[in-house]
Amino acid sequence: MILQGKRVALPPAPVVHQQFEAHAEATPDAVAVFCAGERVTYAELNAKANRFAHFLAARGHGRGAKVGVCLDYSVDLLVAILGTLKAGAAYVPFDPAYPAARLQLLLGQVPDLALIVASPATAGMVESAAVEVIDAEQLSGHLASLPVTDPDVPVTGDDVCYAVFTSGSTGTPKLTAVRHEGWFNLMNWLKLEYGLHRGSNNLVVSAFGFDLSQRALMTPLFCGATQYLMASRNFDAMLAYRLLTDHEIRTVHCASSTLYLLVDWERARGGDALTRLDYVLFGGEPLKVERIADWARREGNNCTLLHQYGVAECTDVATSYDLAGHQPGEQDIAPVGRPAYNTDIHLLDEQLRGVGAGEYGEICISGASVGAGYLNGTGPENEKFTTIVVDGAPRRLYRTGDRGYVTEAGELVVAGRMDAQVKVRGMRIDPTDIERALGRLAGVREAAVVVTYTVSGEAELSAFIVPAGDDLTADDVRTRLLKTLPRNMVPARFMNIPRIPLSPHGKVDRAALAGRA
Amino acid sequence: MIADRVRAIWCREFQRDDISVDDDFFTLGGQSLIMVRIQGAFIEELGVEVTMDQMFLNPTVTSISAYIESLAASGQKTTW
Repeated sequence: MILQGKRVALPPAPVVHQQFEAHAEATPDAVAVFCAGERVTYAELNAKANRFAHFLAARGHGRGAKVGVCLDYSVDLLVAILGTLKAGAAYVPFDPAYPAARLQLLLGQVPDLALIVASPATAGMVESAAVEVIDAEQLSGHLASLPVTDPDVPVTGDDVCYAVFTSGSTGTPKLTAVRHEGWFNLMNWLKLEYGLHRGSNNLVVSAFGFDLSQRALMTPLFCGATQYLMASRNFDAMLAYRLLTDHEIRTVHCASSTLYLLVDWERARGGDALTRLDYVLFGGEPLKVERIADWARREGNNCTLLHQYGVAECTDVATSYDLAGHQPGEQDIAPVGRPAYNTDIHLLDEQLRGVGAGEYGEICISGASVGAGYLNGTGPENEKFTTIVVDGAPRRLYRTGDRGYVTEAGELVVAGRMDAQVKVRGMRIDPTDIERALGRLAGVREAAVVVTYTVSGEAELSAFIVPAGDDLTADDVRTRLLKTLPRNMVPARFMNIPRIPLSPHGKVDRAALAGRA
Repeated sequence: MIADRVRAIWCREFQRDDISVDDDFFTLGGQSLIMVRIQGAFIEELGVEVTMDQMFLNPTVTSISAYIESLAASGQKTTW
């Protein structure tokens, strides 16, 4: 079973920042970014980014280099991203909302990191003997003497533009690399298919480390629109809603759970800022239609809800579905729709043979969006990138590990995972990553983490702990875990048990544990 | 006193009545959904706008109450 995306020709060198540069040339005085009351035009942002690219080049960081960015949302963050791309390098986002211990663990996973751009508020968390930390606020002095002209570094569609951390299955986060061609193709598809244009101003509401945030950050600049950034480290429904109310913002990209919070806010306090949007592009976890159904059907609601599916390994988004086509009151799962341009969805069995129409298979992705693979290590995850032969021609393919089927109408439906990975509030989580962190805590002999569901159907993590001595309290374990893991990886529930149940194959019996939570 | 009213809001949103004024929001198992509800309750019941960043920086009833009092004292609207 193959779902084929429309074939749409890309330029010979599909290079993302060149689209931004074209807008800087055509509409230099248009506002590129609005943050904390500050407005910066396309020409100004382009000049700053050029200077930063020259700064990198002067230090010998060019094509193929990796530049870490650990900044709160700010104009500097966009300067660092665009300047890195202009230098021919790739950026790696480090989310400043993460605990320092987690950031340090992630830093250690980037081979040959050139340097890391930080601010006085974040530098302390990423200090390292191995890599130079540059203070973005001190930079302006250096940069003033550098040329504002384009550095004109030759870049191809195959060059890596960014790399983000995703969960693997071995307890170590994987650094997955995305190519310019894939990122260009994604934004070109959104622009042409959904008519995004210079007026398609966007508000970023997701955390910087997410793959979806890279798309949210770049799409308006790709289209010539204004990017609105919240000067807030944590998602803030109140501030987001106020910005949506006060400004001509047309699009929001977010996880499903963030959409619920925004809809809740509008529902509780009145207002029409959300319903006035052109698009909310959302996904990342199973959709609970009932959380938004009444709002979506509200009279005069102008907002098109695009329910999307994808993986970081294949440039974030692979399919999209206009939720208006989903009949209200239906009990089945909302589809995620059809593929992006130049992207195919394959439903395959374990031997990589296509399954029949309507049958379940592993969702695999081929085409322009397939990324450059993992930059750290040679673990078994690399085997998920493989090659199959379609119509006599070899094709690079990524096996997502997600299960799905295709409806009679030709829409993809995602129906869970093939393995133990879980998704909680839009983030793909490897339970063994959390188990490893638990295992390092004093007083913990062994631990297992499974996903469970609250009475209202929200996914949450439950941890089972075999204590080394006395039983441990949830408060104690949680307090210590919050120092080493991002908040959404810290389990909601903790239980002491005498031993971890094993399956007949000697693996952790997660089903048995989930039943005991 | 503000702290009493803040504690009452926390107890309601966490659905437990044994919260002490020095308990940490996250140690109690607090998640973003609860925090957004508390943020809304601050607007509706106390008439103050507290940003999420301030709620993260002040994760106890005592500290967030002190912050709310400082807002009231300075007569400032939330800056962001």
